[in-house]
Amino acid sequence: MMRLVKAIPLIILTYAIYLTFSGSISTYDIVLGLVVAIISGYLTAELIVKDVGKALSIRRFLWLIIYGIYYLTIAEFKAHYDVIKRIIHPKMPINPGIVRAPYNVVSDFSVVTIACSITNTPGTVVVHLDEGKKNYYVHWIDVKAPDPKTTYENIVRDFEKYVKNIFD
Amino acid sequence: MRKELIVATSLTVTIIVLAYVITLGSGLGPLFNGIRPLAEVYLRTTLNPSQPSFTAMSPEGVTAIVWDYRGLDTLFETAVFYLAIIGAIAIYRGVSEKVRLNGAGVGLSMIVKVVTKVLIPINIAIATSIALHGHLTPGGGFQAGAAMAVIPMILIIAFSRYLLLDLKISKEVALAFRSIGLAGIALTAFVPILIGLLSGVNAYIMQNQLKADASFSLPAYLGDALVSGSLILYNISEYLAVTFGFSMIFLLLSIEEDIVKEQMRGDGVEH
Repeated sequence: MMRLVKAIPLIILTYAIYLTFSGSISTYDIVLGLVVAIISGYLTAELIVKDVGKALSIRRFLWLIIYGIYYLTIAEFKAHYDVIKRIIHPKMPINPGIVRAPYNVVSDFSVVTIACSITNTPGTVVVHLDEGKKNYYVHWIDVKAPDPKTTYENIVRDFEKYVKNIFD
Repeated sequence: MRKELIVATSLTVTIIVLAYVITLGSGLGPLFNGIRPLAEVYLRTTLNPSQPSFTAMSPEGVTAIVWDYRGLDTLFETAVFYLAIIGAIAIYRGVSEKVRLNGAGVGLSMIVKVVTKVLIPINIAIATSIALHGHLTPGGGFQAGAAMAVIPMILIIAFSRYLLLDLKISKEVALAFRSIGLAGIALTAFVPILIGLLSGVNAYIMQNQLKADASFSLPAYLGDALVSGSLILYNISEYLAVTFGFSMIFLLLSIEEDIVKEQMRGDGVEH
């Protein structure tokens, strides 16, 4: 029974994806989609969901939407603008290097979301993750300074502010 | 350096000459843009209730051909595929999949693991949708099964094959589900004959819609949903069978070679 409760967020996810991918809301798909979602959710619940209250929290979901808007507009724009400037500048002012950037979030999903956010914005790529010492190793197009304080403020902090509220 | 130059030049010349011959030099002859007579037969009958003895009652021409017009061919193709899997199981006979080497790897980084985990329900939704719409849109049981078999594959790579065993997806479980799928295909093929024998009408193996001398039809509609008679049953059964057939192969192939060789050597001594 506990497993079925844990499965609820996954059932919603699977159902939404099934209906979107099928591109139909006929009775056939509404009924079969729900059956598929329940089976799939039940099978994968233990593997994926640890805290069902967190997964179903509306406050966290709103933060996810806010983060999505922030990320796809402001964060992406800033990073693209910076890299494009470096590309078209006649002197190509780059100073690349791999730096250590610390993070403070706890949950797996937070760590991965921040890592993917860093990688997906141009100019920075997470090349390695040290879970024990809580460090990302980031390839940075313009190393301002290699000390943890600078790297944290320039690379991690803005994402962490939002992601902390979503997954931690 | 000179060698690379020669290779690059000859590649370029070859591509340009080939492109010229194929397109401007009309090396392939005039292209045929119409519909060939054979294709026209299928296009006109695949979903055509006014031709009850020729139609497969499915808008998806490829699935209609694969499981209805030339259904027997697909049945034997499926049999060949499963014989190949049985061959693989026979080679691995007696090898225990549960033996672990010391210091077994713990998988890839947390980033890969978390992303892999989240992909699983998404993959299940999409693969099952492909199977359940095999008679309506491109795709079908085999394609859906191949899409679904990605899950054990990425789990083995991102985590460890022992995660599958912990999730109770062992060789035996996969074999059982694969057999359910195969039984489903066989049942669907024989159901028309069984019903024909019981009700005393003429029927054929793998019959879907009625034929000139066999008035029996599998239901083309379930409520108002088009299910195309036998096609949906074949697709779902094939989906199960392919998913677990591939899963089983991945499980077997991912056993440490040392463990397999050790156990096989032990087996040989007894004979």
